[in-house]
Amino acid sequence: MAADKSKKAKVAELGAEGEPETVDGELVLSIEKLQEIQEELEKINEEASEKVFEVEQKYNEVRRPVYVKRGDIIKNIPDFWLTAFLSHPALGDLLSEKDQEVFKFMQSIEVEDFKDVKMGYSITFNFTENPYFEDTKLTKSYAFADEGTTNISGTKIRWKQGMDLLANGNVQETKGSKRPFVEESFFSWFNENLQENLSGVMDEVAEIIKEDLWPNPLKYFNNEIDEDDFDGEDDEEETDEDGEEDDDDDED
Amino acid sequence: MVDKGKKSKVEEAASDHSDGELVLSIERLQEIQDEIEKVNEEASDKVLEVEQKYNEIRRPIYGKRNEIVRSIPDFWLTAFLSHPVIADLLTEEDQKILKYLVSLDVEDFKDVKSGYSITLNFSPNPYFEDTSLTKTYSFFDEGTTKITGTTIKWKEGMNIANGVAHKKGGKRPLSEESFFSWFSEIQQKNLAEGFSDEVAEILKEDLWPNPLKYFNNEADDEDFEGDDDEEEKGSEFDNEDESGDEDDEADDS
Repeated sequence: MAADKSKKAKVAELGAEGEPETVDGELVLSIEKLQEIQEELEKINEEASEKVFEVEQKYNEVRRPVYVKRGDIIKNIPDFWLTAFLSHPALGDLLSEKDQEVFKFMQSIEVEDFKDVKMGYSITFNFTENPYFEDTKLTKSYAFADEGTTNISGTKIRWKQGMDLLANGNVQETKGSKRPFVEESFFSWFNENLQENLSGVMDEVAEIIKEDLWPNPLKYFNNEIDEDDFDGEDDEEETDEDGEEDDDDDED
Repeated sequence: MVDKGKKSKVEEAASDHSDGELVLSIERLQEIQDEIEKVNEEASDKVLEVEQKYNEIRRPIYGKRNEIVRSIPDFWLTAFLSHPVIADLLTEEDQKILKYLVSLDVEDFKDVKSGYSITLNFSPNPYFEDTSLTKTYSFFDEGTTKITGTTIKWKEGMNIANGVAHKKGGKRPLSEESFFSWFSEIQQKNLAEGFSDEVAEILKEDLWPNPLKYFNNEADDEDFEGDDDEEEKGSEFDNEDESGDEDDEADDS
């Protein structure tokens, strides 16, 4: 509109004319000074980012051995990661019935930042030998490039004969009429290399696993976040009942 | 609490495994989680310290910037109009009002994590009595957000934020809602998804850090910094009768 035109006209004057009038001269000066300020701000922002990364890096190092200790303890709790995954309100829903059968062979989940926290991280699902695929590790990695893009790569699953849950025609229908539609297998997640899907949403699954499940899976294993379960004793009794009926997300 | 919850799971598994071992493992796991939580809190605090420190460093620079911007006519208005998303939200009336916009001010609360406010400062104008319109976001520990916004003291007949939209010639069939209604949008739209206010995000994370980028239209695909473009701009506006009147903003995006 008017302002737009006047700005562009002014800028045009500056570019086209060799000798700007005094008023324009002041304007040029102001804009130059403003540019300097912006550059100063940018330097500060970069410094702040660096400092934040340093802190994150340091605490990542502190956490690593603790996570290793944790992994060892978890080995003594049967189906720990499976239970935690299924108990997570968002993640549990992602597994089709067939997926759940495959997941029985899942031993552990690991989230690991690259050595330089800034560079990215990976999420690994460890499996024991199973009738579904040859791999024992399924990993998805997110590598952050300087320009701000993310390089995403996932294990190409070596499905055994006839077990490919992602093959066309391998329809997964749930028993009963709970979900009349064909469910997509969670394992397609390893093939999804787009940083954003069409609606512009970042890889939510990765975010949930990294920021939610990984830091405290025990919370979900214990179903502490179940809407029905609060801190009261009564609710704990309800858990006994719920716990026996179903480990998963039928409560939804 | 935790004990009871875990014991129910434990009871299930007890048939297959030794009760004692399992209970012990889960207890040890809980201890580890507590340890991790402490580490995470410490890390968060340290990060917060860094952010607070740099916020303090930035404040006076923003102050300096404000001084300089005063000598650039219509600076913030132009920056708003040059931002593809914000521009789309501005009706013609909004643009007239924004001619009185003196400055934008985004300020974090002192401890950074509790929230921030976004203020639009205006010179005296025929539209409303206020000289500052502010929207404030307060984040509480439990995860909830409280939003407050200035109740605009519109002058007689000027209230455009509440359905008194002037629809001139159907130019903007979709966005007749005034940008200024943003100040009264204090209901969180989707609590389940957490806090989301696109305008706030854009103003705080995009426009405020570097408005010059938009003022210079650097974000625009078509306009770059070369001299040629300057001349092109000049000639574009020789035709201003055609392009200028028909559409004011969104074409840049």
